Amino acid sequence: MKISGRVWKFGKDVDTDELFSGRYIMGGDETSESNYQQFIGESGLSDVAERDNVPSNFLTDVQPGDVIVAEENFGIGSSRQQAAETLKFKGVRAIVADSIHRIYFRNSWNLGCPAIDLPGISQGFNTGDNIEIDLRESLVTNLTTGKEFRFHLIMPSWFIDMVEAGGLIPYHKALKS
Amino acid sequence: MGMTLVEKILANKSGQLVVRPDEIVEVSVDLAMTHDALGAHTAAKFNELGVAKVWDPQKIVVIPDHYVPNKDIDTARKCLNLKKFVREQGIENYYEVGKGGICHQVLVEKGHVLPGTVVVGTDSHTTTSGVVGAFATGIGIDEMAVVFKTGRLWERVPATIKINVEGKLESPLFAKDLMLFILSRLGVSGALFKSLQFTGSTVSEMSIDGRMVLTNMAIEAGATNGIIEPDDKLVDYIRSRTDAPFEVVKGDPDAEYAETIEFRTDDIKEPIVAVPPKPTNGVGVTEVEGTKIDQAFIGSCTNGRLEDLRVAAKILKGRKVDRYTKVIVIPASQEVYKGALDEGLITIFVEAGAMVGPPTCGPCMEAHMGILGPEEVSISSTNRNFEGRSGDVSSKIYLASPATVAASALTGKITDPRQFL
Repeated sequence: MKISGRVWKFGKDVDTDELFSGRYIMGGDETSESNYQQFIGESGLSDVAERDNVPSNFLTDVQPGDVIVAEENFGIGSSRQQAAETLKFKGVRAIVADSIHRIYFRNSWNLGCPAIDLPGISQGFNTGDNIEIDLRESLVTNLTTGKEFRFHLIMPSWFIDMVEAGGLIPYHKALKS
Repeated sequence: MGMTLVEKILANKSGQLVVRPDEIVEVSVDLAMTHDALGAHTAAKFNELGVAKVWDPQKIVVIPDHYVPNKDIDTARKCLNLKKFVREQGIENYYEVGKGGICHQVLVEKGHVLPGTVVVGTDSHTTTSGVVGAFATGIGIDEMAVVFKTGRLWERVPATIKINVEGKLESPLFAKDLMLFILSRLGVSGALFKSLQFTGSTVSEMSIDGRMVLTNMAIEAGATNGIIEPDDKLVDYIRSRTDAPFEVVKGDPDAEYAETIEFRTDDIKEPIVAVPPKPTNGVGVTEVEGTKIDQAFIGSCTNGRLEDLRVAAKILKGRKVDRYTKVIVIPASQEVYKGALDEGLITIFVEAGAMVGPPTCGPCMEAHMGILGPEEVSISSTNRNFEGRSGDVSSKIYLASPATVAASALTGKITDPRQFL
């Protein structure tokens, strides 16, 4: 399975309060997929103008299919899945970072949005570069510079199948049928 | 080669003789906890899975705590949806407003968490339950929905970092000072995908209340879990809380640790304050003494227990808090609240000019009851001080022990508690 897209370069220490503020956690109707997705998608990164680890035009210019390449400690903090959901609902297809925190790692994969920790990767990318991620070959390529990076993920053997199914919930629904 | 405590629990619960660090295992879950902040979401996801019933309603505990009593229509609606799920599924362990408190406190004090078990919660501070020698960790909504269906969880076996602490931990130093000191050495990713096991004479001497501060904040170093091997004190505590049978699991003498980090309490020269925006930014209180504050908050799953309220009351007794400082005290549970009432602590807080709130997570994660406005500065006994964690993105949070928070409440600026102890 391959993912390719345009890169947004994030800095270090992007925390879950920054990605999704506590003030919006109880918002959105969780029983209506469309209402929920719209609310969560729009409410994330609400204070981004005040933060220097996310590009200031990310919220206005992010496009479906884009990929985030971040420095270390991506997703520190809370188990609030909305932190990963908001990026997915804004169209982010995958995240590659120098390091990714455990709960964020799990949440993002569970949504069908691969989160790949690859120490040093942030030095290989700039905002606007084109990236290709080959999940089964464990290879990240910067299509703009031609540089290749290998990753080694420690995760269950069924994880890529899960992403191909669209995430943990669709994967389990399919298991049942 | 033997296994560490965590490795043994994960081996037991995955039906394997041996597990090793970074191996992927699938374990059976003994206890699954959710709360109001993510519980209705979890219920909605579970309902999508197309199965009628949860795997075992006796193993699920539901504790509304973040936004209780409900602050607006959204929070009330989500709590209603959660309660509907609880009733449909026959989940008996449900703590309605006025009967429980903050989930991590309730799980331990009501005897829900037992040694040697696997505990998951839709909350990163689920690590707190490791205080009883359980493997306890946080997960998200979708994963909890699947745990509700299957009773199983995959986990990457964490290598164990042993945090060995020796020496006397005495006033003016408390569990929080020790943990902020430890975190300042580890950094936010110092234990990423690893387990923090706290050992040593200091930990043995600590109360269960104090030990919970260590396991609670293990997540702030990125740890998968925090854990303490059960001793007689812990076993007595559990036996006083539940009749449920349990078996204490201990690590093997020849277990292999990723690292052993030695700490001596003598090296902590003064109370510690973590400066914004990281819980790992611990410095000596004298470095930030005099910083003007707008709010002082004592509470949360980190430091809202009886022991915390006692030391705060000792400092506030017969004194008045600063006239322009908002001082908020929130007991971590109904049981703690009752204890504080019985001991006269609540009267001391009220007479000092502090506002006492009902058991809830409150302002810690920007839920309610003390949200910070633009540029406001808070000193807080909580666990995180990320930008915007408790309010406006320009507000600032200094993390400290209840003693340092109480001393600061009196003066309206960050204050060394030693002069009041």
